[in-house]
Amino acid sequence: MLAASTVSTILIELGAVLLVLAVCGRLAARIGLPSIPLYLLAGLLLGEGSPIALQASSEFIRIGADLGVVLLLLLLGLEYTPEELAHGMRTNWLAGIVDLVASFTPGLLAGLLLGWDPVACVLLGGITYITSSGIVAKLLSDLNRLGNRETSTVLSMLVMEDIVMAVFLPIAAVLIVGATVAEASLSVLLALAVVAAALFVSLRLGARVSRLLDSTSPELLLLTVLGTTFLAAGLADKAKVSAAVGAFLIGVMLSGQIAERGRELLSPIRDVFGGLFFIFFGVQIDPASLPPVLLPAIAIAIVTSASKVGTGWWAARRAGVAARGRRRAAAAMIPRGEFSIVIAGIGTAAGIEADLGPLAACYVLLLAVGGSLAVRFVQ
Amino acid sequence: MELFETPLPGVGVRYEFTSAAGDRVGVIVRRDARRELLLYDEEDPDACRDSVSLTGEEAATLVELLGGTKVTERVADLRHEVEGLSIEWVTLEAGRGLSGRSIGDGRIRTQTGASVVAVIRGERSIPGPGPEFVLEPGDVALVVGSIEGVSAAQRLLTG
Repeated sequence: MLAASTVSTILIELGAVLLVLAVCGRLAARIGLPSIPLYLLAGLLLGEGSPIALQASSEFIRIGADLGVVLLLLLLGLEYTPEELAHGMRTNWLAGIVDLVASFTPGLLAGLLLGWDPVACVLLGGITYITSSGIVAKLLSDLNRLGNRETSTVLSMLVMEDIVMAVFLPIAAVLIVGATVAEASLSVLLALAVVAAALFVSLRLGARVSRLLDSTSPELLLLTVLGTTFLAAGLADKAKVSAAVGAFLIGVMLSGQIAERGRELLSPIRDVFGGLFFIFFGVQIDPASLPPVLLPAIAIAIVTSASKVGTGWWAARRAGVAARGRRRAAAAMIPRGEFSIVIAGIGTAAGIEADLGPLAACYVLLLAVGGSLAVRFVQ
Repeated sequence: MELFETPLPGVGVRYEFTSAAGDRVGVIVRRDARRELLLYDEEDPDACRDSVSLTGEEAATLVELLGGTKVTERVADLRHEVEGLSIEWVTLEAGRGLSGRSIGDGRIRTQTGASVVAVIRGERSIPGPGPEFVLEPGDVALVVGSIEGVSAAQRLLTG
């Protein structure tokens, strides 16, 4: 049992943190930027060494942040129907490979140049690879570009990244645990088999599973979906494949009406806990550790913006889009956000490479803001 | 009229066509009931000059006003359920293709595997026309089959 005074401090601090998120969100909406960079900045200001550092609630916020990651990945899995994933894999695998090679490699090489541990380099590759589907989808919708012909190309690329994440996350989790080459390859194979099985189940039995869990009552639906997700995430974490992966696979497996309504009901909850996650990620970073990684972050941001621009332009041209549309597609691939932070968060939680967190924070700040501006102003 | 269908992952499906007057018109069928009506830009063919967001109810009203039928909506649902199934509306033109001849004459099913499952003639719809059914100019035939089969049938019908 917590002492009464602790409870009051937790409530006061949690209230303050949520209000900070609310103010950041409003400010972001006012100036037309995504809210993630502002959440990160707020986290940096509230972190250790700051006069307004959080005291009693940090443990609570840490748990909230963990739930945030689980919900972010669940919603990512729910974002696309199994048919969209299957269709994406069949028709866009080439674009997916080009995208992966073009934007994963620079991150990986940058890590090696910085003299990092190989596992941290792989994570950095993931951070530079994954375009923020949240930021991009919201921008395209806000800017009334959903009808544009290049938009379907951009969205298909995001689907492919989603599929790559399903494979990347378990592999990263296995690498972090640290194992001999034989053990690691066995675990990677196991992870791939689990992902393949989940996709298969979702395509073949998804409708039946979803019907079993579905309910017309929002309360029962939320309890069932959240219960299943947390259970799967916890089991995945126990099996050392990261809670995020478990949640993601549950999201992929649910389809049809339950996915539709789950998205509606869960999005606001994800936004609350996701906000806590971004704040908490910022809190953990000592602002003094940022200046040394700023230059590498800028360099990596420039190179990986160029690689995304190239990929987007190429994919749009391949889809028969004209010059202006190609430029818009190119810009739309630049923003990085939530999933780069999720990958960095997995690395920091495991305690590999002290610079990974600060570098990822700088990188995402640069490209969430810069990328959004690029999408907005490239007409 | 040729109707293009493009999946928009995470959003829904986009349909587009070019009107006889040369305007490119599109509709996004969102996964929820909402619809977007799009009008493409002549100078920048990939961008929209204007778009109109409609709730499910508004879209239904617009459909009533435009005098459409509920058939298209049901067809769209069907298309989502069967992978690889192609459904096409084919308009017959006077003096070309099978117009003025019977469906059996065209040997559509034998040659292409696709079938004409309904014909819309003016205000009337004729479901399941037999091989003896004679097509007239202006009839709209609903063809169902595999993607290749439907495009072959389309060529037979329009000549």
